[in-house]
Amino acid sequence: MKRIIASALIAASPAAAADFSEGSTAKSWNLYAEAPAFFEAKVVDITCEVTGDCPDNCGDGNRQLGLLRAADGVLVFPNKNAQSGFQGATVDLLPFCGKSVEVDGLLIEDEDIKGASNIYQVQTIREAGTEDWTKANTWSKVWAAKYPEAKGKGPWFRRDPRVNAHLAETGHFGLGLEKDAELIKELFE
Amino acid sequence: MKLTRHLAAPLCALALTAPASATEGERIQITGEIIDTWCYFSGVMGGPDAVVGSAHHTCALWCSAGGIPVGLLGEDGEVYMVLKIEGDDQNASGDTNLNLASHEITADGMLYKRDGLNYLVVEKVVTDHGITNLNHEDYGVVPGFAIPDPKK
Repeated sequence: MKRIIASALIAASPAAAADFSEGSTAKSWNLYAEAPAFFEAKVVDITCEVTGDCPDNCGDGNRQLGLLRAADGVLVFPNKNAQSGFQGATVDLLPFCGKSVEVDGLLIEDEDIKGASNIYQVQTIREAGTEDWTKANTWSKVWAAKYPEAKGKGPWFRRDPRVNAHLAETGHFGLGLEKDAELIKELFE
Repeated sequence: MKLTRHLAAPLCALALTAPASATEGERIQITGEIIDTWCYFSGVMGGPDAVVGSAHHTCALWCSAGGIPVGLLGEDGEVYMVLKIEGDDQNASGDTNLNLASHEITADGMLYKRDGLNYLVVEKVVTDHGITNLNHEDYGVVPGFAIPDPKK
């Protein structure tokens, strides 16, 4: 019975009190509310986990994937992979769909921003019980294979066909090309 | 075994806080801006007022295309992580999310809550108001490198 009471008390504790820094070797990104976090979890399709709508293979890379933390059952949301730039974590987590993994990275818990809780930047992943870590940095290679026509110099986000189609249509501020030209002139004069 | 008062309290707390997989949603209608959540939550590009709106539109496109989760920043200041929009479940780099980057929308759908986060299935975009937060007037462009210097 003592064990049940202890479990109940742990589960009832505020999420902000959770500390998963032990064993972490995550690199700091100097973010205001970051904390290193190493934990075991199951990789899940978040839409499936939350709503019960569950396609095969966690949505095949089209859906955000989550980390159902083993220690407390909390659904952690990996927003970001380990690459600098603007890449999410789905591509890196998809090979581990449905598997128990260990992850290392940065947990964001910012009491000053509503909803900034259980947000994660995943840096490395390995299947539970295995030795070798996989770096969460595969997004750009997958993008390059998907858009071979966009090959060229500079970062992917300057060459992304979908992004560039939007910029060509409504400009960098999204307010139309005429307004865009006017604002850019002001910015750089 | 009878539950004592001391035991019943933590067990009640457990019932309230334990994750409930695939919970029933609550219908809501909400107005807010489609944002990129990593910049908003992490502060990597600046404060929350700077990483939304017209100032951050190019970055919002990059993040959405890159598979960063999008959220709806409601008028109530809450962020609603978007799971689907009008049947499109491609919430990682999908076209529907990309097309709505920085737009203010009025959405009708189902709200789910889990472990401190709000999740939203948008069944209908009632109104797409377009980009209404003209914060470039205060912040210019965020990040500064989002627009290449035309002189270079």
